[in-house]
Amino acid sequence: MASAPHVAVIGGGSTGTGIARDLAMRGLDVTLVEQGNLTHGTTGRMHGLLHSGGRYAVSDQKSAEECIEENRVLREIASHCVEMTGGLFVKRPEDSEEYFREKLAGCRECGIPAEVVSAEEARAMEPHLAPDIDKAIRVPDGAVDPFRLVVANAASAQEHGARIETHSTVTDLLVENGEVVGLEIEHDSGTGKRVHGTVGGTEELRADYVVNATGAWAGRIGDMAGLDVEVRPSKGVMTVMNTRQVDTVINRCRPKGDADIVVPHETTCILGTTDEEVADPEDYPEEKWEVEKMLDTLTELVPMLAEARTIRSFWGVRPLYEPPDVGSENPTDITRDFFLLDHEERDDLPGMTSIVGGKFTTYRMMAEQISNHVCGKFGVDADCETAEVPLPGSEEFSVLRDYMDEFGLRSPIGRRSVERLGSRADEILTTDGPNPTVCSCEGVTRAEIQDAVDQSGSDLNAVRIRTRASMGNCQGGFCSHRMANELHGEYDAATVRKAWDELLQERWKGQRHALWGEQLSQAMLNYALHATTQNRDSDPADGAPVDFSAFDGGTSDTAGAVDAGIATDGGRDGD
Amino acid sequence: MVDVSDAESPPDFDPVEPNAGEEFDPVDVFPDSTEFDLRPGSDSCYKCSTCDTNCPVAEVDDDFPGPKFQGPEQWRLKQNEDDYRVDDSVMDCSNCMRCDNACPSGVPLSQMHNTARGEYVAEEMSKTSVEYWRNRVLANYRTSAWLASKVPSVANFAMNFGPARWLMEKTMGITAEYEFPGFAAETFRDWWAREGAAAGSRERAREARERRGEDVDADKRVAYFHGCYSNYNTPEVGKAMVRVFEQFGYEVVVPEQGCSGTPMFANGMLPDARRHAEVNVSSMSDLVDQGYDAIASCTSCSMALRQEYPELFDIEGIEDVAAHTFESVEYLRIHEDLRGEIAEADVDGDLAAEFAYHAPCHARNQGLERQSVELFRDLDGVGIEDVGDSCSGISGTYGWKEEKHEKSMEIGEEMFEHMEAAEGTTGMTECPTCAMQMEHGTGYEIRHPLELLEAALVD
Repeated sequence: MASAPHVAVIGGGSTGTGIARDLAMRGLDVTLVEQGNLTHGTTGRMHGLLHSGGRYAVSDQKSAEECIEENRVLREIASHCVEMTGGLFVKRPEDSEEYFREKLAGCRECGIPAEVVSAEEARAMEPHLAPDIDKAIRVPDGAVDPFRLVVANAASAQEHGARIETHSTVTDLLVENGEVVGLEIEHDSGTGKRVHGTVGGTEELRADYVVNATGAWAGRIGDMAGLDVEVRPSKGVMTVMNTRQVDTVINRCRPKGDADIVVPHETTCILGTTDEEVADPEDYPEEKWEVEKMLDTLTELVPMLAEARTIRSFWGVRPLYEPPDVGSENPTDITRDFFLLDHEERDDLPGMTSIVGGKFTTYRMMAEQISNHVCGKFGVDADCETAEVPLPGSEEFSVLRDYMDEFGLRSPIGRRSVERLGSRADEILTTDGPNPTVCSCEGVTRAEIQDAVDQSGSDLNAVRIRTRASMGNCQGGFCSHRMANELHGEYDAATVRKAWDELLQERWKGQRHALWGEQLSQAMLNYALHATTQNRDSDPADGAPVDFSAFDGGTSDTAGAVDAGIATDGGRDGD
Repeated sequence: MVDVSDAESPPDFDPVEPNAGEEFDPVDVFPDSTEFDLRPGSDSCYKCSTCDTNCPVAEVDDDFPGPKFQGPEQWRLKQNEDDYRVDDSVMDCSNCMRCDNACPSGVPLSQMHNTARGEYVAEEMSKTSVEYWRNRVLANYRTSAWLASKVPSVANFAMNFGPARWLMEKTMGITAEYEFPGFAAETFRDWWAREGAAAGSRERAREARERRGEDVDADKRVAYFHGCYSNYNTPEVGKAMVRVFEQFGYEVVVPEQGCSGTPMFANGMLPDARRHAEVNVSSMSDLVDQGYDAIASCTSCSMALRQEYPELFDIEGIEDVAAHTFESVEYLRIHEDLRGEIAEADVDGDLAAEFAYHAPCHARNQGLERQSVELFRDLDGVGIEDVGDSCSGISGTYGWKEEKHEKSMEIGEEMFEHMEAAEGTTGMTECPTCAMQMEHGTGYEIRHPLELLEAALVD
């Protein structure tokens, strides 16, 4: 038998890693390339809702049915990424009774377990719901950690022989004789695990087939081969609260609109969202009024949000797609369904298929379908097993442990760690050395950080998405330097500095949109600490080499030392 | 006109204002109440760790994760699920409440600790364990003291009888190190009854007003919360309170009362504390309605009524009682020209001494840590020196626990050293258990500021 076909998957989000896992499990040779970190695009910028399908039960029943099916699958195969919180569709007095009935009927038609609960029952479940709500429909919504899920998919793909390249940008599609035969890639820092400062370079990656799973960026990849992939990116804002005001997913029961959902997520709640079409998925305005409007509207459901601490806001772009002949004017009307665009059938360019549209909850199903499609091309006859085989971390495990006895950890820290690590907990948390808490907001210990460093090199943002370190209320104020310190030993000072800078930059990005109240105090304190104790406002070691002789002139040849200092120091500005 | 230049408090004095400027709902301790909500506290924390650097336990115990962890951090990590466990380290917190004072951001740390400790004891501590019953016995000191006061001489012998104490240490984990507090032959309340109780006080107060040239019908009425210790162990403090207040023309009443709850909070025995709080709030709020203010001579008792009650319990009238509770010297400094009278007085005899004064942590939290020093430095015949801002370490029942005693003494070390360096060899403090620790560490005799006030001002 000839060697397995080599498939290049572009895009390290849920769909791309899902495809990589599926194809690798079926024995294909897979390379996944992602321009940033895993989840860098849309996947890392969602509210973490595991849909029951209830949201689409009136307007888009096909999507709703897929959601409930995949909701059940993910609870099994990704148990360490999912928290089954349950969800409520809450009707306020001004919301339409007719729509409430349609919603209930729609859920039942789609096989989504749904029951009506009275205002009293709903408020008993969620005491912070507004006192004047009418009633609600209870559905099996849940919360899912997109970072953990994608990392687990990538890890599983790697276990099955796939090659995963992050921080590698596709610069061109290789087209020979009217067929896509591979990619041209620009590596930011070498191949394999990312190490800052490693010289990158261009790679010509030849593949038997290319899958474009870049979501909102699919049009850009298409352009490289002159293809027209009409993705209509639509932005939405999400705001992260410091605590959980609700432990159940709270949806507003009215036709799709802005600012209608609160999702409990780990230690926080995430508020969502808005829906506005943008031209460029990487360059669009992030505006304060979007956050304010969302907070105002959601306060109608959960009044205490008005006074609660927000820790950051972020925007994501939905990779919406509709066949060109539909022509919806409003992005909220565009279907959430997904489409396989086989460019051979569509554009007469064999060798590549794009997958567009769709949503996070059904990523696995999308991956299965495109994997079937790809396998079909090569006559590979292997069954899809992704719906049955648990992801790494989601094998049988129990969170009920004696954390102090087993791991030497304080109860809530041990509990959080085991919830994140799932079945990998024993392997990771059992260590001989000291295991201090590195991120105290989220309860992340050195052992977990070190495990993430092992997986992802010197990239602290990759460590962050694996562990939640620096994602709590201080937003890295008290732990980013500790995280950087964990790189010491394996990586040199220059590498650590770059990684540290990048993490701080990333943490600051989202906090900019929450600079009032407590988070403003936090940012001020973080700044003061970083500036006064770490020189982060202007570290002489970050720029030109330090002229130490300026501080201690020494004896006679002070003037000469200044001139010579640069060269002897080997600094980069010396010439 | 009274001189309150350095003691004036606004009338709505509130020792801790969580989320300054915003409404903060008091909470019930168990999560079935919709008022159970510590989110604002968790939101207020910006992790600066000032609380940790002010924590006396963390200073001597590297394994203690500190108030930031015990409070906002743990709360945020465990908030979402009922089956999350409170970490057992919360039992190492001594409830000195210094963290409340330390926090620059108004996080109600002790409220969070008390809540977590209550939850830990209710849900995780075995109700058949020795630790639970030891703590319960210590926390319910009032019950033991009540019993002992029936036969004080027997109790005094038995409680300091070596083999009995050895046995208590081995079987119950109550340290044999401290001298057990002596029980008075006559309790304060028995004395009070003998003195004619409220009616007698009214008469004496009217005489005093007349003597002072005040309106004899003046509205000067206080309700004395003596607490357990002044009643059973140091009735001289209670008597001094009554005499000093009557001297200034105050009618004193001594309502029905239980324990303030301080030792119960510290041991996570919230249902016990609530039972006592219901009695105290009910009798005090009736009096507050009639125009009385509640006065405590123990700074932990006033702390409990002022801060812990409204933070932990939802009892009719609790806010009013909290707003009308004062420490005894504080009250006189607000309403009387105490400083002026002290400046003209002098003391001789037994109390003409140099005092080494220690401010209890709970006094510190009410902003009272300087009042004795500011007052008595102007008093002829005595000297007073502040022995610094460290914690005595005993924290009520904490130092009495066999496994915590060493830690408690280590915390107290700084205070002992400063006491020894001070000129005087008599100690002074408002808190009965701080007094116990001071005496234990130095051998000095310890007096209460009210006793000195009595010696200086009462004819």
